Amino acid sequence: MFGRRRKIEDFAEEIKAHMAIEAEDLREEGRSAEEAQWEARRVFGNVRAAQEQFYLRGRWQWLDRMMGDLRFGIRSLLQSPGFAFTAILTVAMGVGANTAVFSVMNAVLLRSLPVADPARVVYVRPSNPPDNTGTIETDETVSHSVYAELREQTKAIQPLMAYVPLSAGKVAVRTGAEPEEAEGEMVSGQFFSGLGVGMADGRGFSEQDETDNAPLAVLSYNYWTRRFGRDPGVVGKTFYVNGVPMTIVGVAAQGFEGAEAGHSTDFWIPLQNRPELNAYANPPDDGKLYIANPKWWCMRLIGRLAPGVSKAQALAQLQPVFQSAAYVGVGNPHPGEKLPVLRLLDAKNFPGYEDMYGKPLRVLMMMVGLVLLIALSNVAMLLMARNAARQREFSVRLALGATKSILLRQLLIESLLLVTGGGILAWVFAVFASRALGAWAQIETSLAPDETVMLFAFGLLVLAALVFGLAPLRVAMSAGATSAMKTTQATAHADAGRSRTGRVVVVLQMMLCVVLLVGAGLLVRTLRNLENTPLGMSVDGLVVFGVKPNTQALAETNAFYRELMGKLRVLPGVEDVTIMEERLGTGWSDNSDMLVDGKLPDVANGSSRTVRSNVVGPDFFTTLGVPVLMGRDFNQSDTMTSPHAGIVNQEFVDRFLHGQNPLGHRIGPTGIKWDMEIVGVVKNHKYRSITEDPIPMAWYMYAQIPVLSEMNVELRVHGNPLAILPTAGKALAQIDPNLPLIQPIEQRAQYETTIAQQMLFARLAGFFGLLAVVLVATGLYGTLAYRVHMRTAEIGVRMAVGAQRGQVVWMVLRHSLVLTGLGIGLGIPLAVLLGRALSTSLYGVQPLDVGTYGMVLAGVMVVALAASALPAARAARVDPLKALRTE
Amino acid sequence: MPTQENNDDRIALLQGTLDLLILKTLVIGPCHGQGVARSIQRQSEEVLFVDHGSLYIALQRLEDKKWIRAKWGVSENNRRARYYHLTPKGREQLTEKATQWKRLTEAMERILEPGTGPAGEEA
Repeated sequence: MFGRRRKIEDFAEEIKAHMAIEAEDLREEGRSAEEAQWEARRVFGNVRAAQEQFYLRGRWQWLDRMMGDLRFGIRSLLQSPGFAFTAILTVAMGVGANTAVFSVMNAVLLRSLPVADPARVVYVRPSNPPDNTGTIETDETVSHSVYAELREQTKAIQPLMAYVPLSAGKVAVRTGAEPEEAEGEMVSGQFFSGLGVGMADGRGFSEQDETDNAPLAVLSYNYWTRRFGRDPGVVGKTFYVNGVPMTIVGVAAQGFEGAEAGHSTDFWIPLQNRPELNAYANPPDDGKLYIANPKWWCMRLIGRLAPGVSKAQALAQLQPVFQSAAYVGVGNPHPGEKLPVLRLLDAKNFPGYEDMYGKPLRVLMMMVGLVLLIALSNVAMLLMARNAARQREFSVRLALGATKSILLRQLLIESLLLVTGGGILAWVFAVFASRALGAWAQIETSLAPDETVMLFAFGLLVLAALVFGLAPLRVAMSAGATSAMKTTQATAHADAGRSRTGRVVVVLQMMLCVVLLVGAGLLVRTLRNLENTPLGMSVDGLVVFGVKPNTQALAETNAFYRELMGKLRVLPGVEDVTIMEERLGTGWSDNSDMLVDGKLPDVANGSSRTVRSNVVGPDFFTTLGVPVLMGRDFNQSDTMTSPHAGIVNQEFVDRFLHGQNPLGHRIGPTGIKWDMEIVGVVKNHKYRSITEDPIPMAWYMYAQIPVLSEMNVELRVHGNPLAILPTAGKALAQIDPNLPLIQPIEQRAQYETTIAQQMLFARLAGFFGLLAVVLVATGLYGTLAYRVHMRTAEIGVRMAVGAQRGQVVWMVLRHSLVLTGLGIGLGIPLAVLLGRALSTSLYGVQPLDVGTYGMVLAGVMVVALAASALPAARAARVDPLKALRTE
Repeated sequence: MPTQENNDDRIALLQGTLDLLILKTLVIGPCHGQGVARSIQRQSEEVLFVDHGSLYIALQRLEDKKWIRAKWGVSENNRRARYYHLTPKGREQLTEKATQWKRLTEAMERILEPGTGPAGEEA
């Protein structure tokens, strides 16, 4: 009763009753029955209008109308599902690809370090470190003594924080019985408080913790989630790092994964002072740990500018302090040595990322931008074609009383539906794609889309909606109630069929397609070159993992490796075993100048004397499959007590012992009194990465050198290399149950990590190039098919007056060839520009690679012909009689 | 919109006056829509013209405001019709609106009478 809405039927009933009563009254007044009924109706006026008014009473009219339009729009799209599907998918691909690339770019290049007030945070970095020092990164790291001096003597940066990883990769950790591995960092006491990184649970470190080298640990939120399932009871647990017990005191706030770009730290401990926890897992150098060794510059610094102090002021204050601190314990500068200089870098945007990913990401962003352009123009063209073909429908609807504004509104709603559908799909696509991108690029930073990404995607969709909105505008403006109804099919569509806009768009699409394909082609060739680069060894069947023994004395460590190799060698499926200090294919190497026969070798016109070296086990080259050109491989009889044996590569001989028999010469590093006799020469092969050029190399025998710590084990096995890992792990556990296999990986995959970024870049570029081709093909096909359809009558006339089928086909083909030719002509200069911009990312291929250009041109022509073939065939099949009869 | 043209001497109702007239008609007793329309026309001696469509919308509006109530009944000639009653709230509104209307017309007269009004009308 109350509150219930009265039904429109009830209202109609009342009006009917009204007429009946009125008619009765009129009859009583003396009218005839029929007359009375007519009169009653006439007097009442417009019944429909009253009913409509009743219906609209109290409703949200715009919502009501919108729902109607939506229903209408969905119905009309469902009538051409092929069109709707293509359009939505195209929008989704275009917007999705852009959103994915942008979200990576956002995470990598645009997002700030997740700390409080990042604008006041600076990286404190040196350049020109003193000559006698060893560094991790010449332009990034300093010694502990420099850190201590700077912290003591300056107030301009408050606080100054230091951090240094426990290993270049991962370290052994343990909470239960099973050994595991994780990425850990030692940090100064004010690391969390100074950066303003909050704690999700527990507490951070204090200055006292740093002074005490307290055995405490803070986990990253990510690691806490991944390893402990966000166990709220994790604080207070014991966490063994390289066998040293630490107490977990906190979990860092979500999103903070360390101050360095591209790395995600799993846990942090205060700066330690014990050999098991030296920086970078190095053995003590001359008995000194990182904390006591002013010659080892291994720590990174970050700090917060004191309130009211500008970067320039802070630098002015720090510079002299740094320049004297740099030489404490290092010795006086050599004459002519460049003074070390301190720099302050904005920490806001992870400066390292820009160098690593800036260019590829920008090129990719540009490529997906072009793809988006093609995609949007495609859909706009499809929409225009569709609307033009619906000219008659519009005219009929106008004639039946629809207004132009209603037509326009409904067309806009249709466009909006396409954009919305495409947008939803695009988001799903983007979330998956950005995750895949992050995994491929080995970006460990979280790539979860944030507000910026959402805003970006939304902006793209608005752009799409605007573009699609313009397409119907024109139709709605030009449609008249009478024009299309009166005229014949042929004349009504003559204009639409020759639309200049359509031609311009196709040419522009072709142009963009050529640019994208050339870029993609160059990068894909680069990828092929990289993948097919000979490594100089037989890499298949090799698997590698790290081991860090808990041994102290050199003899003990030696025995450990001897025993380990012995145990591994007898495992079923294992063919060869060896060990090496620097893992191949990681980008790392030991570099130094070397003395040959007691003096620095003469080198031709200023070329480098640098030798890359490695410490390896017996049968090293046999295991790798590197040919020994002269002499022999290392073997088990090279021991602590036997004469020091060394092996060099061909490049070493060519550069330093040219024209001599290399065997028997004595070589050794500069700076210490230690040398070895060359017992073998091996063929050049790749050490650090796939793209490196040959460089002189030398190998030491592990059993003969005075320092030994973490090594990598290389196994050659039959069958799947990774399948050996569980048994290898058991063999290791027999010696020491605390030790995990550190970062086990197939050797080939390890090498490929050095080109992962190029591979990703090339694959993506290839994918986008392909996407562009598909889009352009559909666009061209759509335009041509539509033109042929519109010109059916004209073609009929032409054939009726004597045109041959061949001529008709040629007419259609010629048209598409002209458009393609124009597109190619405009595209090539742009492609040349793109190729030049890409030149630093190419490997083994020239920016003006003829093969690539040839393939692209041939490809574009084939696509154009394929896209035109169907419409041309359809044109040839036009039956002149039928075409004319429909008039 | 009704396309009927108002080409006779009858005057179309001013906005808002219809509500008042309906309420006034219903004071006498319950009545159906057609009866209300006829009554207004008759009482105004055919000067006022009631658009029937608008009348029913107005009735509905008053019903929504709970100034009147409606239920289906049977007319004198045994026809089903929807009868409208005045509610107490409607009665209050009638008094109020009637007062307002009187004040309005008095004010209008005061302006029109001493000026050009009488002269123009008698000329």
